[in-house]
Amino acid sequence: MNSRRRIYEATTKGMTIGATGIAVAVLLIVLLYVFRQGIGLLSIDLIRGNYWSENINIAFEEPEAKSFEKPADIPADAHFSSKFGFALADRKDPQGADLMTVVYIDPESPLHTAYSTTAGATQGQHVSIHQEASIQRIQYLNTDGDKKTAGPARRMFSKDTIKALDESAESLVLMYYQTEGGGIWGSIIATLILIGVTLVIVLPVGVAAAIYLNEVAGKNRLTAAIRSSIEMLSGVPSIIFGLMGMAMLFPVTQVFGANGPSILLGALTLAVVLLPVVIRQTEEALIVVPQSLRMGSLALGATQTQTIFRVVLPNALPGILTAALLSISRVIGESAALIYTMSTIISDSPSLLQPATSLAVQIWAITSAEQPNFELASAISILILAMVLVLNITVKVISVRLNRRWSA
Amino acid sequence: MPDKTRFSSKQRKRRQAVDRTMRGVFLFCGILSALMILLIFYFVGQKGIQVFLPSYGEKRQNLWNFLTGMSWRQDRGVYGVGFIVINTLITSFGAAVISFPLAVLTGLYIVKLAPKRMRVVFTTVIELLAAIPSVVYGVFASGSITGLVNTIAGWFGQITAGGVGSLSVIFLLAIMIFPTICSMSIVSIAAVDRQLELGSLALGATPMQTNMKVVLTAARSGIFAGLILGLGRAFGEATAVTMVAGNAMIGPTINPFDPTRTLTSTMLAGLKETTGLDYDIRFSAGIVLMIIIVGSNLLIHQIRRRIGGVTNE
Repeated sequence: MNSRRRIYEATTKGMTIGATGIAVAVLLIVLLYVFRQGIGLLSIDLIRGNYWSENINIAFEEPEAKSFEKPADIPADAHFSSKFGFALADRKDPQGADLMTVVYIDPESPLHTAYSTTAGATQGQHVSIHQEASIQRIQYLNTDGDKKTAGPARRMFSKDTIKALDESAESLVLMYYQTEGGGIWGSIIATLILIGVTLVIVLPVGVAAAIYLNEVAGKNRLTAAIRSSIEMLSGVPSIIFGLMGMAMLFPVTQVFGANGPSILLGALTLAVVLLPVVIRQTEEALIVVPQSLRMGSLALGATQTQTIFRVVLPNALPGILTAALLSISRVIGESAALIYTMSTIISDSPSLLQPATSLAVQIWAITSAEQPNFELASAISILILAMVLVLNITVKVISVRLNRRWSA
Repeated sequence: MPDKTRFSSKQRKRRQAVDRTMRGVFLFCGILSALMILLIFYFVGQKGIQVFLPSYGEKRQNLWNFLTGMSWRQDRGVYGVGFIVINTLITSFGAAVISFPLAVLTGLYIVKLAPKRMRVVFTTVIELLAAIPSVVYGVFASGSITGLVNTIAGWFGQITAGGVGSLSVIFLLAIMIFPTICSMSIVSIAAVDRQLELGSLALGATPMQTNMKVVLTAARSGIFAGLILGLGRAFGEATAVTMVAGNAMIGPTINPFDPTRTLTSTMLAGLKETTGLDYDIRFSAGIVLMIIIVGSNLLIHQIRRRIGGVTNE
């Protein structure tokens, strides 16, 4: 009997330890997987870069060949054109595809006389060539006066291109290049706008509602109904909020001039999503403010309004801060509601009334495209995870301090 | 000389008026917050029901065919949600079967067995699992879980569509609902009366017998509430599920290696236009989802009343 009990003890204990081990392992695996997939792409270029690449055609005012000295300080893998005074090198773009870029331009080079021939507002204007731009094609006149083309579009990379130019080119005709794409700067800006507008809407309403529930409301049916309605709101899945945004809040944004999904609509929708979070966090902070503080304030002749704004709220400030941080974390991670209300159109220059994507929605957009890009998705995931985990740990530290403050 | 220690009646009136106004503002915000749930039901309901009404025109859908239909084909204009509901239930309950025992045992370990210092670490792990956004789980799932499922399918001689399908959704949801069930278990296990345990130990039960038979039984009401909350999350989880569901056009999907289609993946996948039947019918699927979730919430109250046990409030 004794040994059977020991076996029972050991197996059941082992089961609980095993289950906990699985939980810890899952967290580590998720973090490790995303980190390993995405870390290679993560760079300042990715963060500051535009998502859409721009195609630019340029021609030159002084296209003739001269002679140039190869400078000492160009990269070792670069190839220098002694006729036109610039250097090309082979690089990889954020997606890992081969590309050819200009890495050096001599001050006297014909490339400094470039002007745009791309149709549009900038046509004929002087352009300075983007150093990180991907050169597709260089057209030149050779010694016989024939037009020839070099560049990656002809499967010639920097070595062959420079060789062709220096051997036979007399003057440059035009250059066609693409600015680098695949960046996330637009989504970062959109996410920041979204966070700001959402907080501006949800914090005042949520804090006021929490004050009503905790400071003003009596213990009656109305209060109970309000409480359970707000409780129910927190159980609604986020995709339903997306539907609600389009059906109910879209007309509101139309008043401001939006004519489709927009950041404003996303912010209004998320404000509704976050109401229960803000109300609950604020209420928890209000509850722990000792009753004696309110009594003291009222006894000194302050009105209820003065008591709330000068005594109760300042003491509940850490709780409201917690609510704000949790809200930011939710906004950063939210996707389903925003796919409906902000669209999946990635924008490089987001504005409040235009469609755009937050970082999380950009992940959705690039993984549900015809050629999903999981590396870029993982790189963005690293950023999102870092922000969300830091915010949540901060919240935890704050709430531990808050509890200690009044229990001491 | 005026008495500065007292307010004049004018001042007093103004102070009362400010108080009244502010109370009104607070009440307004409270009621506005509470109204949101009703407004959601009203607006989503109205837009979802309109496709079944005569006023919708020639593309009007038949409600009965919609609810019992076993195929969903945008290309042919056939929209049946019946098999989708079944698939949603299969994947969610499948996830719960995997996740529930693990989550409860983890909760038990964290509260009763773990060394005191490690307790904070483990609860933080659970909280971080809950904080990871859905779309990140989606990236993880479509990169690694699908590979795992593909390998498992190979053992059984089955062919998958690149690993997407029922089983991938089940594994993904099992991970995603784990923290929900686990944190509810932690709360309710921690609330169990110490006297109950001491009584069991005094009667000669071993510590683990006490934990498994007395503590878990006493905490069952909260644990089952956690299960229902987890199921609710599984029903409503959208982004990550859509990334690995595969969106089958007909069903229900019985073979775990075949592509599936849940209510949420139906609502989210291929969303481009914001007008027309294909868009409006997503609201109808939304109504079905809301009914399922409200139903499961009502179930919580029923179960709490029936099972009883220690109350955690």
